[in-house]
Amino acid sequence: MARNSDTLPFPTSISIQSLDHSKLYNRRAQSRENLVEKEITNDSNSNQSTFVYDYEELAEWKGFDKPPKLPPRNFKNAYCDTNDLKKQTTNKTGVTGMSLDDMFCSRCREGFEPHEKIVNSRGELWHPQCFVCAQCFRPFPEGIFYEFEGRKYCEHDFHVLFAPCCGKCGEFVIGRVIKAMNANWHPGCFRCEECSGELAETGFMKCQGRALCHTCNARIKAGALGKHICHQCHGIIDDKPLRFRGEVYHPYHFNCTACGIELNADAREVRSRPGFAANEMNELYCLRCHDKMGIPICGACRRPIEERVVTALGKHWHVEHFVCAKCEKPFLGHRHYEKKGLAYCETHYHQLFGNLCFVCNQVIAGDVFTALNKAWCVHHFACAFCDQKMNQKTKFFEFDLKPACKKCYEKFPQELKRRMRRMYDLNPKKIPA
Amino acid sequence: MTVCARAMNQTPVSCIPNSRMSKAKKVIDEARENQNPELDLADKGISTFEEMPGLLNMLQITRLTLSHNKLQVVPPGLANLINLEILNLFNNHITELPISLSQMPKLRILNVGMNRLDSLPRGFGAFPVLEVLDLTYNNLSEENLPGNFFMMETLRALYLADNDFEYLPPEIGQLKNLQILVLRENDLIELPKEIGELTRLRELHIQGNRLTVLPPEIGNLDLVSNKAVFRMEFNPWVTPIGDQLQVGISHVIDYIRSETYRYLYNRHLSAKGPPPPIENDKSKKISRAR
Ligand SMILES: [Zn+2]
Ligand SMILES: [Zn+2]
Ligand SMILES: [Zn+2]
Ligand SMILES: [Zn+2]
Ligand SMILES: [Zn+2]
Ligand SMILES: [Zn+2]
Ligand SMILES: [Zn+2]
Ligand SMILES: [Zn+2]
Repeated sequence: MARNSDTLPFPTSISIQSLDHSKLYNRRAQSRENLVEKEITNDSNSNQSTFVYDYEELAEWKGFDKPPKLPPRNFKNAYCDTNDLKKQTTNKTGVTGMSLDDMFCSRCREGFEPHEKIVNSRGELWHPQCFVCAQCFRPFPEGIFYEFEGRKYCEHDFHVLFAPCCGKCGEFVIGRVIKAMNANWHPGCFRCEECSGELAETGFMKCQGRALCHTCNARIKAGALGKHICHQCHGIIDDKPLRFRGEVYHPYHFNCTACGIELNADAREVRSRPGFAANEMNELYCLRCHDKMGIPICGACRRPIEERVVTALGKHWHVEHFVCAKCEKPFLGHRHYEKKGLAYCETHYHQLFGNLCFVCNQVIAGDVFTALNKAWCVHHFACAFCDQKMNQKTKFFEFDLKPACKKCYEKFPQELKRRMRRMYDLNPKKIPA
Repeated sequence: MTVCARAMNQTPVSCIPNSRMSKAKKVIDEARENQNPELDLADKGISTFEEMPGLLNMLQITRLTLSHNKLQVVPPGLANLINLEILNLFNNHITELPISLSQMPKLRILNVGMNRLDSLPRGFGAFPVLEVLDLTYNNLSEENLPGNFFMMETLRALYLADNDFEYLPPEIGQLKNLQILVLRENDLIELPKEIGELTRLRELHIQGNRLTVLPPEIGNLDLVSNKAVFRMEFNPWVTPIGDQLQVGISHVIDYIRSETYRYLYNRHLSAKGPPPPIENDKSKKISRAR
């Protein structure tokens, strides 16, 4: 336990205080959103200080509090005799021409007898009987002394005169001192009066004359007021709490899963896996979005559909979000074509997949027969009435836009053929022969 | 000899039942041998299914064409052909269909046109995958459609031309996949506004009816693109529609989409006069033959 005499053994200005004394804290608190401001204003009418810190802030604060580390010094070397000193001053300190006549005791200002013991401390010399504690005039036990304002003290008197006593254990505090609650503390002795957790690193809250960690402070305060503590920030929930996944919170820590708005206490917890006891999948929705949950959710934007709903591909869509998979233009009520779970506009469907055969209703891969507002694959281009295969050279008659081979047409009853001719005469260009 | 007698009121055919039977039998035997899934028995003078022994056991066939024969009765056992996708019974003498047909699991195209159907069996609309239903040239009307007729949501084409409809049930709007609707030469007095819900419709034939106005909802449909056909001639249209029709279908559509027309249409409905007289003479239709 050696202490250097030329530096104060502990920094005098270190104290741990409520954070509202911290300039850094105040600067940050001001720049922060209403979240912090709200908590501060809530407490402004009481002398209990509430604070919020983050780790960055804490690190700066700790750095400031660290006492400087000092190299140990062997004080026993301070004792030597005049001959040794001569040798020392000549050889080691480089002081030349020094004689016994020039040397005198720093305390009594008398000279030294030859062979008399001399105490040398950093170039100052004493009679051994003069090298004593400025308070008790006794030699320093084991040569250990403390220096303050040019005077040297034994350890005991130095502590009595200058070192603080711990407010808890009553022992001297050497090294890091925690100044808080108008007293000094060993870091390990400054503890929460509720849970006995150390406060030196985490900061504390003053609550009716007691130093408490913020968790206990909030709990006690909430308990006294009959209020909940937020599971996230441990602050008191002054207004209505939000219950979520079995805990209570300030609602403003959350945003609506659907619309992203900051939530209030009206928010609803939605069980996303109905029937499951586990709640870790539950999600929060603002009341507005929750009310819309009964109505369909758009398959594209995942938001509720308030206006017209398009139902296609097994999903619901906003009219403007139901779009061609190729050109992404909305169908807006126009015909669309479905293929492998995707929807296409007519142009792109045919561009990508070609025509559908009227008979097999499959996309036509090879040659296409196109006639009568329809298309056929090679395999299925046939008379609609006798199923005889036809080719591009086969003559056929049109009957309600179905192809009739000549043989079939001839079998049609006379009265029908007469009527067909009447139609044909009216609009001959529409009927291919 | 009954077969021969019945054949007499049609085009003259050979009166040798044995050779005719062997004609159908030959086709069936060949198909069975070749494992041919498509069976062509059109115009074979067949009067009953008994002339086609073993047919109902040919479970592999996917298409059965029996057009231009003289079948009167379709046996319920035809539904045994569980792989059948296309059944063509066009131009026979069929007066009723067995309800079992509507249970056929793969039947996609059913042509019963030009027969003598006066009604359809109860529950007929139960077809699971029917896409094209051709009932052209029969004796059907809204009075004799089964209750579930418009439940056939898979239908993409419905042919009802040359029948006796005066009104089309509003349930037509349920056929969401319908692309083709043919109502040519019925006795239709009006169309339900629900036709406007058939958003995929690209062929609408309503010529030769007793229509005077169109529901404005038809304006919702895309019937004037180059992929669409709308036929509406030979109806006693109100003058403004008739005038637009003179210049072209697209003018009619533009007109019925206008506010002016909506006003006229509502006034027309409230001042409901007697329906126009029936003009189609159906006495010579062969579907009327008994
Ligand atoms: Zn002392
Ligand atoms: Zn202590
Ligand atoms: Zn909170
Ligand atoms: Zn919150
Ligand atoms: Zn959307
Ligand atoms: Zn597109
Ligand atoms: Zn095909
Ligand atoms: Zn033919």
